[in-house]
Amino acid sequence: MNTGCGCSIKILAWVTIILLALLLTGLIIGPLGSKLLGVEAPSFLDIPKPHVQLPPEGIFHVASFTITNTLIASWLTILVLSGLFYTCTRKMKLVPGRAQNLAEVVVETLLNFVKSVAGENHARIIFPVVATIFLYVLTNAYLALLPFFGTVGISEHNGTFVPLLRSANTDINVPLSIALVSFVFVEYWGLRALGVFRYINSFFNLGQLRNGFVSLFKGKVRPAISGIGFGFINLFVGGLEVLSHFIRIISFTFRLFGNMTAGEILLLVVSFLIPFIASIPFYGLELLVGFLQAMIFAGLTLVFGVIAMAPHAEEPAHTSQ
Amino acid sequence: MEGIGINLPLLIAFVINFAILFTLLSVFLYKPVLKMLDERQARIKESMEQAEKMRQQAARSEEEIKAHLENARKEGQAIITQATQIGERLKQEARENARRETESLIDKARREIQRERDKAVTELRKEFANIAILAAEKVIGEALDKEKHRKVIDEVLKESTALK
Repeated sequence: MNTGCGCSIKILAWVTIILLALLLTGLIIGPLGSKLLGVEAPSFLDIPKPHVQLPPEGIFHVASFTITNTLIASWLTILVLSGLFYTCTRKMKLVPGRAQNLAEVVVETLLNFVKSVAGENHARIIFPVVATIFLYVLTNAYLALLPFFGTVGISEHNGTFVPLLRSANTDINVPLSIALVSFVFVEYWGLRALGVFRYINSFFNLGQLRNGFVSLFKGKVRPAISGIGFGFINLFVGGLEVLSHFIRIISFTFRLFGNMTAGEILLLVVSFLIPFIASIPFYGLELLVGFLQAMIFAGLTLVFGVIAMAPHAEEPAHTSQ
Repeated sequence: MEGIGINLPLLIAFVINFAILFTLLSVFLYKPVLKMLDERQARIKESMEQAEKMRQQAARSEEEIKAHLENARKEGQAIITQATQIGERLKQEARENARRETESLIDKARREIQRERDKAVTELRKEFANIAILAAEKVIGEALDKEKHRKVIDEVLKESTALK
Protein backbone atom coordinates (compact mmCIF):
# COMPACT_ATOMS: atom_id res chain seq x y z
CA MET A 1 0.00 0.00 0.00
CA ASN A 2 2.71 2.38 1.10
CA THR A 3 5.05 1.57 -1.72
CA GLY A 4 2.23 1.79 -4.26
CA CYS A 5 1.28 5.18 -2.95
CA GLY A 6 4.87 6.39 -3.08
CA CYS A 7 5.22 4.98 -6.57
CA SER A 8 2.16 6.83 -7.88
CA ILE A 9 3.35 10.06 -6.30
CA LYS A 10 6.73 9.54 -7.95
CA ILE A 11 5.06 8.99 -11.33
CA LEU A 12 2.94 12.07 -10.83
CA ALA A 13 6.02 14.13 -10.02
CA TRP A 14 7.82 12.88 -13.14
CA VAL A 15 4.82 13.61 -15.33
CA THR A 16 4.57 17.11 -13.89
CA ILE A 17 8.26 17.72 -14.47
CA ILE A 18 8.07 16.50 -18.05
CA LEU A 19 5.00 18.62 -18.75
CA LEU A 20 6.63 21.69 -17.24
CA ALA A 21 9.79 21.07 -19.25
CA LEU A 22 7.75 20.76 -22.43
CA LEU A 23 5.88 23.95 -21.61
CA LEU A 24 9.14 25.76 -20.92
CA THR A 25 10.71 24.46 -24.13
CA GLY A 26 7.63 25.57 -25.98
CA LEU A 27 7.88 28.98 -24.43
CA ILE A 28 11.57 29.39 -25.29
CA ILE A 29 11.80 27.96 -28.79
CA GLY A 30 8.30 28.89 -29.89
CA PRO A 31 7.68 32.10 -31.81
CA LEU A 32 6.94 33.93 -28.54
CA GLY A 33 10.25 32.96 -26.94
CA SER A 34 12.38 33.39 -30.03
CA LYS A 35 11.02 36.88 -30.50
CA LEU A 36 11.54 37.93 -26.89
CA LEU A 37 14.79 36.09 -26.13
CA GLY A 38 16.30 35.93 -29.59
CA VAL A 39 16.68 32.13 -29.49
CA GLU A 40 16.77 30.51 -32.90
CA ALA A 41 14.60 27.42 -33.06
CA PRO A 42 15.99 24.37 -34.82
CA SER A 43 14.71 24.19 -38.35
CA PHE A 44 12.65 20.96 -37.90
CA LEU A 45 10.56 22.79 -35.31
CA ASP A 46 9.85 25.64 -37.67
CA ILE A 47 6.15 26.29 -37.33
CA PRO A 48 4.25 27.78 -40.26
CA LYS A 49 2.50 31.04 -39.45
CA PRO A 50 -1.21 30.55 -38.97
CA HIS A 51 -3.41 32.21 -41.50
CA VAL A 52 -7.09 32.85 -41.07
CA GLN A 53 -9.13 31.39 -43.89
CA LEU A 54 -12.85 32.10 -43.70
CA PRO A 55 -14.20 30.46 -46.87
CA PRO A 56 -13.64 26.69 -46.98
CA GLU A 57 -10.96 25.37 -49.27
CA GLY A 58 -11.84 23.14 -52.16
CA ILE A 59 -10.26 19.69 -52.22
CA PHE A 60 -11.43 18.41 -55.57
CA HIS A 61 -14.07 19.13 -58.16
CA VAL A 62 -17.01 17.13 -59.41
CA ALA A 63 -18.09 18.76 -62.65
CA SER A 64 -18.47 22.44 -61.69
CA PHE A 65 -19.16 21.65 -58.02
CA THR A 66 -16.30 22.00 -55.55
CA ILE A 67 -16.04 19.48 -52.74
CA THR A 68 -14.68 21.45 -49.79
CA ASN A 69 -12.92 20.20 -46.69
CA THR A 70 -15.87 21.30 -44.54
CA LEU A 71 -18.24 19.24 -46.67
CA ILE A 72 -16.03 16.20 -46.14
CA ALA A 73 -16.01 16.92 -42.39
CA SER A 74 -19.79 17.12 -42.38
CA TRP A 75 -19.99 13.76 -44.16
CA LEU A 76 -17.69 12.38 -41.51
CA THR A 77 -20.05 13.72 -38.86
CA ILE A 78 -22.99 12.01 -40.53
CA LEU A 79 -21.01 8.80 -40.83
CA VAL A 80 -19.93 8.86 -37.19
CA LEU A 81 -23.39 9.68 -35.82
CA SER A 82 -25.37 7.24 -37.93
CA GLY A 83 -22.72 4.53 -37.55
CA LEU A 84 -22.62 4.94 -33.79
CA PHE A 85 -26.38 4.89 -33.32
CA TYR A 86 -26.85 2.16 -35.90
CA THR A 87 -24.64 -0.15 -33.88
CA CYS A 88 -26.35 0.98 -30.68
CA THR A 89 -29.90 0.27 -31.86
CA ARG A 90 -29.28 -2.67 -34.16
CA LYS A 91 -30.66 -5.19 -31.70
CA MET A 92 -33.22 -3.46 -29.52
CA LYS A 93 -34.13 -5.31 -26.35
CA LEU A 94 -36.56 -4.55 -23.59
CA VAL A 95 -33.72 -4.94 -21.11
CA PRO A 96 -31.07 -2.70 -22.66
CA GLY A 97 -27.42 -3.56 -23.05
CA ARG A 98 -24.64 -1.02 -22.71
CA ALA A 99 -24.76 0.29 -26.28
CA GLN A 100 -28.54 0.49 -26.34
CA ASN A 101 -28.44 2.30 -23.02
CA LEU A 102 -26.22 4.99 -24.55
CA ALA A 103 -28.74 5.59 -27.34
CA GLU A 104 -31.58 5.62 -24.84
CA VAL A 105 -29.85 8.07 -22.55
CA VAL A 106 -29.19 10.43 -25.47
CA VAL A 107 -32.78 10.24 -26.70
CA GLU A 108 -34.37 10.39 -23.30
CA THR A 109 -32.30 13.35 -22.11
CA LEU A 110 -33.08 15.33 -25.25
CA LEU A 111 -36.73 14.31 -25.16
CA ASN A 112 -37.06 15.39 -21.53
CA PHE A 113 -35.43 18.71 -22.42
CA VAL A 114 -37.92 19.20 -25.27
CA LYS A 115 -40.81 18.11 -23.05
CA SER A 116 -39.84 20.54 -20.31
CA VAL A 117 -40.24 23.43 -22.76
CA ALA A 118 -42.87 22.26 -25.24
CA GLY A 119 -45.05 20.10 -23.01
CA GLU A 120 -46.23 16.57 -23.71
CA ASN A 121 -48.42 17.41 -26.72
CA HIS A 122 -45.91 19.11 -28.99
CA ALA A 123 -42.76 17.32 -27.77
CA ARG A 124 -42.91 14.42 -30.23
CA ILE A 125 -43.40 16.78 -33.19
CA ILE A 126 -40.53 19.10 -32.32
CA PHE A 127 -38.14 16.51 -30.89
CA PRO A 128 -36.50 14.99 -34.03
CA VAL A 129 -35.49 18.35 -35.49
CA VAL A 130 -34.17 19.76 -32.22
CA ALA A 131 -32.29 16.55 -31.42
CA THR A 132 -30.76 16.40 -34.89
CA ILE A 133 -29.61 20.03 -34.68
CA PHE A 134 -28.08 19.39 -31.27
CA LEU A 135 -26.26 16.21 -32.30
CA TYR A 136 -25.09 17.69 -35.63
CA VAL A 137 -23.66 20.88 -34.16
CA LEU A 138 -22.14 19.07 -31.19
CA THR A 139 -20.50 16.36 -33.28
CA ASN A 140 -19.22 18.91 -35.81
CA ALA A 141 -17.61 20.84 -32.97
CA TYR A 142 -16.17 17.84 -31.12
CA LEU A 143 -14.81 16.04 -34.17
CA ALA A 144 -12.96 19.25 -35.06
CA LEU A 145 -10.94 18.89 -31.85
CA LEU A 146 -9.46 15.60 -33.03
CA PRO A 147 -5.78 15.77 -34.06
CA PHE A 148 -6.23 14.99 -37.75
CA PHE A 149 -8.49 17.99 -38.32
CA GLY A 150 -6.57 20.82 -39.93
CA THR A 151 -3.29 18.89 -39.94
CA VAL A 152 -3.69 16.21 -42.58
CA GLY A 153 -3.88 17.84 -45.99
CA ILE A 154 -2.48 18.62 -49.36
CA SER A 155 0.33 21.02 -50.17
CA GLU A 156 -0.50 22.83 -53.33
CA HIS A 157 1.95 23.91 -56.00
CA ASN A 158 2.07 27.51 -54.90
CA GLY A 159 3.22 26.43 -51.43
CA THR A 160 -0.08 26.85 -49.55
CA PHE A 161 -1.30 24.03 -47.37
CA VAL A 162 -4.89 22.82 -47.67
CA PRO A 163 -6.17 20.65 -44.80
CA LEU A 164 -8.33 17.70 -45.80
CA LEU A 165 -10.72 18.19 -42.92
CA ARG A 166 -11.88 21.39 -41.31
CA SER A 167 -14.46 21.99 -38.58
CA ALA A 168 -17.77 22.09 -40.44
CA ASN A 169 -19.17 24.71 -38.06
CA THR A 170 -16.52 27.21 -39.20
CA ASP A 171 -17.93 27.21 -42.71
CA ILE A 172 -20.63 29.88 -42.83
CA ASN A 173 -22.71 27.65 -45.10
CA VAL A 174 -23.21 25.08 -42.32
CA PRO A 175 -24.70 27.41 -39.68
CA LEU A 176 -26.69 29.07 -42.45
CA SER A 177 -28.08 25.76 -43.66
CA ILE A 178 -29.07 24.73 -40.13
CA ALA A 179 -30.58 28.17 -39.53
CA LEU A 180 -32.64 27.87 -42.72
CA VAL A 181 -33.83 24.40 -41.70
CA SER A 182 -34.71 25.74 -38.26
CA PHE A 183 -36.61 28.68 -39.80
CA VAL A 184 -38.54 26.43 -42.19
CA PHE A 185 -39.50 24.02 -39.44
CA VAL A 186 -40.55 26.77 -37.04
CA GLU A 187 -42.89 28.28 -39.65
CA TYR A 188 -44.13 24.81 -40.61
CA TRP A 189 -44.94 23.94 -37.01
CA GLY A 190 -46.77 27.24 -36.58
CA LEU A 191 -48.83 26.72 -39.73
CA ARG A 192 -49.55 23.13 -38.81
CA ALA A 193 -50.63 23.88 -35.25
CA LEU A 194 -52.71 27.00 -35.93
CA GLY A 195 -53.76 26.78 -39.59
CA VAL A 196 -52.80 29.28 -42.29
CA PHE A 197 -55.21 32.08 -41.42
CA ARG A 198 -54.73 31.94 -37.65
CA TYR A 199 -50.96 31.74 -38.03
CA ILE A 200 -50.89 34.85 -40.25
CA ASN A 201 -53.32 36.53 -37.89
CA SER A 202 -50.96 35.83 -35.00
CA PHE A 203 -48.59 38.28 -36.66
CA PHE A 204 -50.91 41.00 -37.90
CA ASN A 205 -54.06 40.69 -35.74
CA LEU A 206 -56.26 41.63 -38.72
CA GLY A 207 -59.42 41.42 -36.62
CA GLN A 208 -59.07 44.96 -35.34
CA LEU A 209 -58.73 46.42 -38.84
CA ARG A 210 -61.76 44.44 -40.01
CA ASN A 211 -63.79 45.66 -37.04
CA GLY A 212 -62.77 49.21 -37.92
CA PHE A 213 -64.07 48.86 -41.47
CA VAL A 214 -67.28 47.20 -40.23
CA SER A 215 -67.85 50.18 -37.91
CA LEU A 216 -67.19 52.56 -40.80
CA PHE A 217 -69.93 50.94 -42.89
CA LYS A 218 -72.30 51.08 -39.97
CA GLY A 219 -71.58 54.78 -39.67
CA LYS A 220 -70.00 54.69 -36.22
CA VAL A 221 -67.18 57.17 -36.63
CA ARG A 222 -65.16 56.88 -33.45
CA PRO A 223 -64.85 53.07 -33.27
CA ALA A 224 -64.12 53.16 -37.00
CA ILE A 225 -61.25 55.61 -36.61
CA SER A 226 -59.76 53.81 -33.60
CA GLY A 227 -60.21 50.40 -35.21
CA ILE A 228 -58.60 51.35 -38.47
CA GLY A 229 -55.86 53.24 -36.67
CA PHE A 230 -54.97 50.35 -34.39
CA GLY A 231 -55.38 47.99 -37.32
CA PHE A 232 -52.66 49.79 -39.24
CA ILE A 233 -50.44 49.87 -36.17
CA ASN A 234 -50.96 46.12 -35.89
CA LEU A 235 -50.02 45.73 -39.53
CA PHE A 236 -46.79 47.61 -38.90
CA VAL A 237 -46.01 45.58 -35.75
CA GLY A 238 -46.75 42.40 -37.69
CA GLY A 239 -44.31 43.51 -40.37
CA LEU A 240 -41.64 43.92 -37.69
CA GLU A 241 -42.53 40.48 -36.36
CA VAL A 242 -42.11 38.94 -39.79
CA LEU A 243 -38.81 40.73 -40.17
CA SER A 244 -37.65 39.39 -36.81
CA HIS A 245 -38.32 35.86 -37.99
CA PHE A 246 -35.95 36.45 -40.91
CA ILE A 247 -33.40 38.16 -38.71
CA ARG A 248 -33.36 35.01 -36.57
CA ILE A 249 -31.72 33.22 -39.50
CA ILE A 250 -28.89 35.73 -39.52
CA SER A 251 -28.44 35.70 -35.74
CA PHE A 252 -28.47 31.90 -35.66
CA THR A 253 -25.88 31.78 -38.43
CA PHE A 254 -23.45 34.28 -37.05
CA ARG A 255 -23.72 33.16 -33.44
CA LEU A 256 -22.57 29.66 -34.31
CA PHE A 257 -20.16 30.69 -37.05
CA GLY A 258 -18.58 33.38 -34.89
CA ASN A 259 -18.13 31.22 -31.82
CA MET A 260 -16.72 28.28 -33.71
CA THR A 261 -14.42 30.31 -35.92
CA ALA A 262 -13.16 32.28 -32.93
CA GLY A 263 -12.46 29.04 -31.06
CA GLU A 264 -10.59 27.65 -34.04
CA ILE A 265 -8.48 30.77 -34.41
CA LEU A 266 -7.81 30.86 -30.68
CA LEU A 267 -6.48 27.29 -30.73
CA LEU A 268 -4.44 28.04 -33.82
CA VAL A 269 -2.84 31.12 -32.31
CA VAL A 270 -2.17 29.59 -28.89
CA SER A 271 -0.56 26.48 -30.33
CA PHE A 272 1.49 28.67 -32.64
CA LEU A 273 2.77 30.93 -29.88
CA ILE A 274 3.54 28.14 -27.39
CA PRO A 275 3.79 24.85 -29.30
CA PHE A 276 3.37 22.43 -26.37
CA ILE A 277 0.92 21.98 -23.49
CA ALA A 278 -0.43 25.55 -23.38
CA SER A 279 -3.29 24.81 -25.77
CA ILE A 280 -4.74 22.00 -23.59
CA PRO A 281 -6.90 24.29 -21.39
CA PHE A 282 -8.21 25.93 -24.54
CA TYR A 283 -9.27 22.52 -25.87
CA GLY A 284 -11.25 22.14 -22.65
CA LEU A 285 -12.78 25.54 -23.28
CA GLU A 286 -13.68 24.47 -26.82
CA LEU A 287 -15.46 21.39 -25.45
CA LEU A 288 -17.59 23.68 -23.33
CA VAL A 289 -18.21 26.13 -26.17
CA GLY A 290 -19.18 23.35 -28.57
CA PHE A 291 -21.68 21.94 -26.09
CA LEU A 292 -23.08 25.40 -25.32
CA GLN A 293 -23.49 26.34 -28.97
CA ALA A 294 -25.23 23.07 -29.77
CA MET A 295 -27.48 23.62 -26.76
CA ILE A 296 -28.24 27.22 -27.78
CA PHE A 297 -29.00 26.38 -31.39
CA ALA A 298 -31.27 23.48 -30.48
CA GLY A 299 -32.81 25.32 -27.53
CA LEU A 300 -33.64 28.46 -29.50
CA THR A 301 -35.18 26.41 -32.30
CA LEU A 302 -37.25 24.67 -29.66
CA VAL A 303 -38.37 27.91 -28.03
CA PHE A 304 -39.21 29.58 -31.36
CA GLY A 305 -41.14 26.49 -32.37
CA VAL A 306 -43.13 26.50 -29.12
CA ILE A 307 -43.90 30.21 -29.51
CA ALA A 308 -45.05 29.65 -33.10
CA MET A 309 -47.31 26.80 -32.02
CA ALA A 310 -48.83 28.61 -29.04
CA PRO A 311 -52.36 29.83 -29.67
CA HIS A 312 -52.45 33.64 -29.59
CA ALA A 313 -55.03 35.78 -27.83
CA GLU A 314 -57.91 36.00 -30.26
CA GLU A 315 -58.85 39.49 -31.41
CA PRO A 316 -58.99 41.59 -28.27
CA ALA A 317 -60.69 44.29 -30.43
CA HIS A 318 -64.10 42.83 -29.54
CA THR A 319 -63.81 43.97 -25.95
CA SER A 320 -62.61 47.47 -26.79
CA GLN A 321 -65.94 48.56 -28.24
CA MET B 1 -20.75 37.59 -49.15
CA GLU B 2 -17.80 36.17 -51.09
CA GLY B 3 -15.44 37.27 -48.33
CA ILE B 4 -16.87 34.92 -45.73
CA GLY B 5 -17.62 32.22 -48.23
CA ILE B 6 -21.37 32.01 -48.69
CA ASN B 7 -21.81 29.80 -51.69
CA LEU B 8 -25.20 28.65 -52.95
CA PRO B 9 -24.28 25.15 -54.26
CA LEU B 10 -22.37 24.45 -51.05
CA LEU B 11 -25.29 25.73 -48.99
CA ILE B 12 -27.64 23.39 -50.83
CA ALA B 13 -25.19 20.55 -50.27
CA PHE B 14 -25.23 21.24 -46.52
CA VAL B 15 -29.01 21.41 -46.42
CA ILE B 16 -29.07 18.04 -48.16
CA ASN B 17 -26.51 16.78 -45.64
CA PHE B 18 -28.76 17.88 -42.81
CA ALA B 19 -31.71 16.15 -44.44
CA ILE B 20 -29.66 12.96 -44.80
CA LEU B 21 -28.56 13.11 -41.18
CA PHE B 22 -32.14 13.80 -40.09
CA THR B 23 -33.41 10.78 -42.00
CA LEU B 24 -30.63 8.49 -40.80
CA LEU B 25 -31.04 9.51 -37.18
CA SER B 26 -34.83 9.16 -37.44
CA VAL B 27 -34.43 5.64 -38.75
CA PHE B 28 -31.55 4.50 -36.57
CA LEU B 29 -32.06 6.45 -33.38
CA TYR B 30 -35.33 8.23 -32.71
CA LYS B 31 -37.79 5.72 -34.06
CA PRO B 32 -36.42 2.53 -32.47
CA VAL B 33 -35.51 4.17 -29.17
CA LEU B 34 -38.79 6.04 -28.78
CA LYS B 35 -40.67 2.88 -29.69
CA MET B 36 -38.68 0.96 -27.11
CA LEU B 37 -39.21 3.65 -24.46
CA ASP B 38 -42.95 3.65 -25.10
CA GLU B 39 -43.05 -0.12 -25.07
CA ARG B 40 -41.15 -0.28 -21.81
CA GLN B 41 -43.41 2.36 -20.28
CA ALA B 42 -46.45 0.36 -21.34
CA ARG B 43 -44.93 -2.83 -19.95
CA ILE B 44 -44.12 -1.25 -16.61
CA LYS B 45 -47.56 0.27 -16.36
CA GLU B 46 -49.15 -3.05 -17.22
CA SER B 47 -47.12 -5.02 -14.71
CA MET B 48 -47.81 -2.45 -12.02
CA GLU B 49 -51.51 -2.71 -12.71
CA GLN B 50 -51.23 -6.47 -12.56
CA ALA B 51 -49.39 -6.29 -9.25
CA GLU B 52 -52.11 -4.04 -7.90
CA LYS B 53 -54.73 -6.52 -9.05
CA MET B 54 -52.86 -9.39 -7.38
CA ARG B 55 -52.57 -7.38 -4.19
CA GLN B 56 -56.31 -6.75 -4.17
CA GLN B 57 -57.00 -10.40 -4.82
CA ALA B 58 -54.74 -11.44 -1.98
CA ALA B 59 -56.48 -9.00 0.34
CA ARG B 60 -59.83 -10.36 -0.74
CA SER B 61 -58.89 -14.00 -0.13
CA GLU B 62 -57.42 -13.08 3.23
CA GLU B 63 -60.73 -11.50 4.08
CA GLU B 64 -62.52 -14.65 2.97
CA ILE B 65 -60.27 -16.86 5.06
CA LYS B 66 -60.87 -14.64 8.04
CA ALA B 67 -64.63 -14.93 7.55
CA HIS B 68 -64.33 -18.70 7.28
CA LEU B 69 -62.32 -18.89 10.47
CA GLU B 70 -64.82 -16.70 12.26
CA ASN B 71 -67.67 -18.95 11.09
CA ALA B 72 -65.85 -22.08 12.23
CA ARG B 73 -65.14 -20.52 15.59
CA LYS B 74 -68.79 -19.60 16.04
CA GLU B 75 -69.93 -23.09 15.04
CA GLY B 76 -67.50 -24.69 17.47
CA GLN B 77 -68.72 -22.39 20.20
CA ALA B 78 -72.31 -23.36 19.45
CA ILE B 79 -71.45 -27.06 19.54
CA ILE B 80 -69.67 -26.68 22.86
CA THR B 81 -72.60 -24.80 24.33
CA GLN B 82 -75.02 -27.44 23.12
CA ALA B 83 -72.87 -30.25 24.50
CA THR B 84 -72.63 -28.52 27.84
CA GLN B 85 -76.39 -28.15 27.92
CA ILE B 86 -76.91 -31.79 27.07
CA GLY B 87 -74.42 -32.84 29.72
CA GLU B 88 -76.15 -30.65 32.25
CA ARG B 89 -79.50 -32.19 31.40
CA LEU B 90 -78.13 -35.73 31.63
CA LYS B 91 -76.61 -34.99 34.99
CA GLN B 92 -79.90 -33.58 36.18
CA GLU B 93 -81.79 -36.61 34.95
CA ALA B 94 -79.34 -39.02 36.56
CA ARG B 95 -79.59 -37.17 39.81
CA GLU B 96 -83.40 -37.29 39.59
CA ASN B 97 -83.38 -41.00 38.87
CA ALA B 98 -81.08 -41.74 41.74
CA ARG B 99 -83.20 -39.67 44.06
CA ARG B 100 -86.38 -41.47 42.97
CA GLU B 101 -84.76 -44.87 43.33
CA THR B 102 -83.52 -44.16 46.80
CA GLU B 103 -86.90 -42.88 47.77
CA SER B 104 -88.58 -46.04 46.51
CA LEU B 105 -85.98 -48.16 48.29
CA ILE B 106 -86.56 -46.28 51.51
CA ASP B 107 -90.30 -46.69 51.04
CA LYS B 108 -89.99 -50.39 50.49
CA ALA B 109 -87.77 -50.75 53.52
CA ARG B 110 -90.17 -48.78 55.60
CA ARG B 111 -93.07 -50.96 54.49
CA GLU B 112 -91.04 -54.08 55.20
CA ILE B 113 -90.30 -52.86 58.68
CA GLN B 114 -93.97 -52.07 59.20
CA ARG B 115 -94.95 -55.50 58.08
CA GLU B 116 -92.29 -57.18 60.24
CA ARG B 117 -93.46 -55.18 63.19
CA ASP B 118 -97.12 -56.07 62.56
CA LYS B 119 -96.21 -59.68 62.26
CA ALA B 120 -94.20 -59.55 65.44
CA VAL B 121 -97.02 -57.80 67.30
CA THR B 122 -99.56 -60.37 66.09
CA GLU B 123 -97.33 -63.21 67.09
CA LEU B 124 -96.58 -61.63 70.40
CA ARG B 125 -100.28 -61.12 70.98
CA LYS B 126 -101.00 -64.76 70.15
CA GLU B 127 -98.21 -65.89 72.48
CA PHE B 128 -99.48 -63.55 75.14
CA ALA B 129 -103.00 -64.98 74.82
CA ASN B 130 -101.73 -68.49 75.14
CA ILE B 131 -99.71 -67.55 78.15
CA ALA B 132 -102.68 -65.79 79.66
CA ILE B 133 -104.94 -68.76 79.02
CA LEU B 134 -102.38 -71.04 80.49
CA ALA B 135 -102.12 -68.81 83.51
CA ALA B 136 -105.89 -68.55 83.88
CA GLU B 137 -106.32 -72.30 83.59
CA LYS B 138 -103.78 -72.67 86.29
CA VAL B 139 -105.63 -70.17 88.45
CA ILE B 140 -109.22 -71.24 87.83
CA GLY B 141 -108.53 -74.85 87.17
CA GLU B 142 -110.33 -75.96 84.17
CA ALA B 143 -113.36 -73.89 85.02
CA LEU B 144 -113.90 -72.72 81.65
CA ASP B 145 -113.65 -74.75 78.56
CA LYS B 146 -111.00 -73.87 76.10
CA GLU B 147 -113.32 -72.66 73.36
CA LYS B 148 -115.23 -70.22 75.47
CA HIS B 149 -112.08 -68.86 76.94
CA ARG B 150 -110.53 -68.13 73.58
CA LYS B 151 -113.64 -66.25 72.56
CA VAL B 152 -113.42 -64.07 75.62
CA ILE B 153 -109.77 -63.26 75.01
CA ASP B 154 -110.38 -62.46 71.36
CA GLU B 155 -113.09 -60.03 72.38
CA VAL B 156 -110.75 -58.36 74.77
CA LEU B 157 -108.03 -58.16 72.14
CA LYS B 158 -110.48 -56.63 69.64
CA GLU B 159 -111.28 -53.95 72.14
CA SER B 160 -107.61 -53.44 72.74
CA THR B 161 -106.93 -53.01 69.00
CA ALA B 162 -109.77 -50.58 68.86
CA LEU B 163 -108.00 -48.72 71.63
CA LYS B 164 -104.70 -48.82 69.82
